[in-house]
Amino acid sequence: MRVENCFFCGRPAWPSKGITFMRNDGKSFRFCRSKCHKNFKMKRNPRKLKWTKAYRKNAGKEMVVDSTLQFAARRNVPVRYDRELFAKTLKAMERISEIRARRERVFYKKRMAGKRARELAAARKLVAANEHLLPRLRGSEKRRLAELAAERGVDVEELEREELANLRASKKSKAFGGEVRRLRVRTDGGVEEITEATGGHVDEDMDDDDDDDDGDEEMDTD
Amino acid sequence: MTWKDIAPVPTAQEFIDIVLSRTQRRLPTQIRAGFKISRIRAFYTRKVKFTQETCSEKLGQIVSSFPVLTDQHPFHRDLMNILYDADHFKVALGQVSTAKHLIETISRDYVRLLKYSQSLFQCKQLKRAALGRMATLIKRLKDPLQYLDQVRQHLARLPDINPTTRTLLVAGFPNVGKSSFVRSVTRADTPVEPYAFTTKSLFVGHLDYKYLRYQVIDTPGILDHPLEEMNTIEMQSVTALAHLRAAVLFFIDISEQCGYSLKAQCNLFKSIKPLFANKMVFVVLNKMDIKTFEDLEPEMQAELQDLTKSGEVELLRASCATQDGVQEVKNHVCERLLAERVSQKLKAGTASNGAMGSRLSEVMNRIHVAQPMGGVTREYFIPEAVKTLKKYDKNDPERRTLARDIEEANGGAGVFNVDLRKDYILADPSWKYDKIPEIYDGKNVYDYVDPDIDAKLQALEEEEERLEKEGFYESDEDIGDESEEEILQKAEYIREKHKLIRNEAKMRKSLKNRAIIPRKAIKKPLSQLEDHLDQLGVDTEEIGLRGRAQAMSRGRSVTRSRAGTADPDAMDVDSTSGATAKERLRSLSRPRSRSVAAVNRRDDGVQDETARSKAERQAKLSQRKMNRMARQGEADRHIGASMPKHLFSGKRTIGKTSRR
Repeated sequence: MRVENCFFCGRPAWPSKGITFMRNDGKSFRFCRSKCHKNFKMKRNPRKLKWTKAYRKNAGKEMVVDSTLQFAARRNVPVRYDRELFAKTLKAMERISEIRARRERVFYKKRMAGKRARELAAARKLVAANEHLLPRLRGSEKRRLAELAAERGVDVEELEREELANLRASKKSKAFGGEVRRLRVRTDGGVEEITEATGGHVDEDMDDDDDDDDGDEEMDTD
Repeated sequence: MTWKDIAPVPTAQEFIDIVLSRTQRRLPTQIRAGFKISRIRAFYTRKVKFTQETCSEKLGQIVSSFPVLTDQHPFHRDLMNILYDADHFKVALGQVSTAKHLIETISRDYVRLLKYSQSLFQCKQLKRAALGRMATLIKRLKDPLQYLDQVRQHLARLPDINPTTRTLLVAGFPNVGKSSFVRSVTRADTPVEPYAFTTKSLFVGHLDYKYLRYQVIDTPGILDHPLEEMNTIEMQSVTALAHLRAAVLFFIDISEQCGYSLKAQCNLFKSIKPLFANKMVFVVLNKMDIKTFEDLEPEMQAELQDLTKSGEVELLRASCATQDGVQEVKNHVCERLLAERVSQKLKAGTASNGAMGSRLSEVMNRIHVAQPMGGVTREYFIPEAVKTLKKYDKNDPERRTLARDIEEANGGAGVFNVDLRKDYILADPSWKYDKIPEIYDGKNVYDYVDPDIDAKLQALEEEEERLEKEGFYESDEDIGDESEEEILQKAEYIREKHKLIRNEAKMRKSLKNRAIIPRKAIKKPLSQLEDHLDQLGVDTEEIGLRGRAQAMSRGRSVTRSRAGTADPDAMDVDSTSGATAKERLRSLSRPRSRSVAAVNRRDDGVQDETARSKAERQAKLSQRKMNRMARQGEADRHIGASMPKHLFSGKRTIGKTSRR
């Protein structure tokens, strides 16, 4: 019994799951699900489909060169069962996957290194160009505040700023969408969950390397 | 060597007919006196020349088709000389050849004369003369042509004798049983009759011995008289004896039934002995069934023995009538002949110093006799344990235990399960029944099993330590300051706004089967303007007041007021309890939209929160299909083009579908 990797997407295909295609030249193709099988039948190139491991590796989105990756290999030399050896192997497997997870995290960090700066620059530009779209106080509100200030004897501007901050804080998203749950893996191996109540996912003028939030979750699945 | 394909030779008359009719057929026949003289001359010249060419061709063919005597094997040459008389043959061919030359001369002369002829008549006469002379010449060839045709026919029927192959030559007095012998050893159908000179010419038969083909030549009988007195029939035998390199079987009839005494036969042998030089000669005593060698008188026996004295002659016995000894004679002669020929070949190919010629050595090198195992014999070997092994016996109580016995003891077939693990070969036998992990933590354990895992893991740990030291894992988590967060939030807000604006614009754009109304013509209420301006932060109170003031009509109110004191622009507060009669009246004079308080129609008629959510769910459900089918509403039954041209034309590669 083996956990094979899907020929198309590279996900692990567990026993009893998926389907195997045996070509008449003897080569076998294991698919993890019908999606992969169908795509294969359509003669699609897995390197050109963003959801496959082949694409991600090809596009440099995944750690490809590392010493931890060299441990697992199909060897064609049969090794006789040895209790001590197997015990050592199991221990080693744990340790290897631990180290690998750490390195992958670092890899991800390095890959994402300039992202925040880019985002900020884009945001600044956007805000500078679209100042008029930011929420502001209504005319009637201003009048009310002016009256209130006159009554209380405080500065109008002070009141207005306060009110504006309130307004912005209470703003609720009108666009479709909900809260986004993110799993953040720390370098020490721990996982913390962050809930961000962002509104709609509005990202049409961003470059597309921020679309792999799922990379965090997928990291230790292969 | 056959001459079966010589073309028939026509007689003189036939020859003339062939030539002249061919001239007539192949050349134009229309000529008139009125034609130009050069044309007439050319016409007749051509006739003469063509006739000559045909004659030359035909005569040449005859000459060349016959064999040239000097080129033939001496045997064939002599045979032809005897049969057809070489001189006669040569003269006949010579005559034909001469006639050919003469015809050519005639043609040349008359062509020259034709050049000077002046009229059609003259030309015609010249042509007639030329053709006539040619015909005369051919007529004179009558005898040679006839002779040549006879020779041709005879040649075609001559037996196919190969002078160089393995040959047995049967010779002897007439009627001694030569043909019977040939008949019995080959499939040749030689005539056998009880009188002398049954065989009048050479006959050839073939026999196979040791997968080789032998040629057996049956010759006519020879009488014992000088060579000059011999007739044609006898001479054929002599020719064959003289020229063929063969094994000669000299037949002697010891019963003397042939009509010639034994003595005479012996004498014949002696007289033709010069012909046997360099040949193997076997004297075959035939008709042994009538009289055996032992029955002869001693002096006759001595006489016969005397024949074999010279050493190269052997005495054999046979009886063609009873077939006794015939096969033995055949086998013996063939064997000897073969050995002789091989030794001769070897001798011919070997130089005087014993070195073999290149051709011979090439053949000898190819001959290799293989012997199995190089002559070594191998002994078999049976181990001692196998020798002492007791034979398995089912009924013996101390028999060996078989797997079948174990199966029987443990419940038999279908119940017993073979324990394969028992036979595992492991370093420690106690591991045999371990549960071996296959998959661990989503990975195949066997992929990681490696005898030198320790060293590799050690190397990895060292690398890890080094990286740790180098600060590979140190992360600089910068939590953005507040201003950055604010900027991001603002950007977020702006993006959302953009999206909403875009959506709104999209909604506006879709016509939904309505007429296009110019923007100017669209009526907008003042309140909308006010709201918009208010949103932009402009105080709209004054604007509103001014606008209303302008819209108010002067003078008396249009609406009739019973009380007459009503202000038409007083707030129409919907108060059911404190509604005065005046107010009720006013409400009647206004459109329903203004008289009744605006109700939220989403909440209208819904009792409580649960009913509300249920209603919402229902609404969503009913819209699902419409949305899925991309319908604008329930009434949208639009059917688009089934295959829009622009979506289906052009090539698509595997890469993308977005652009065509």
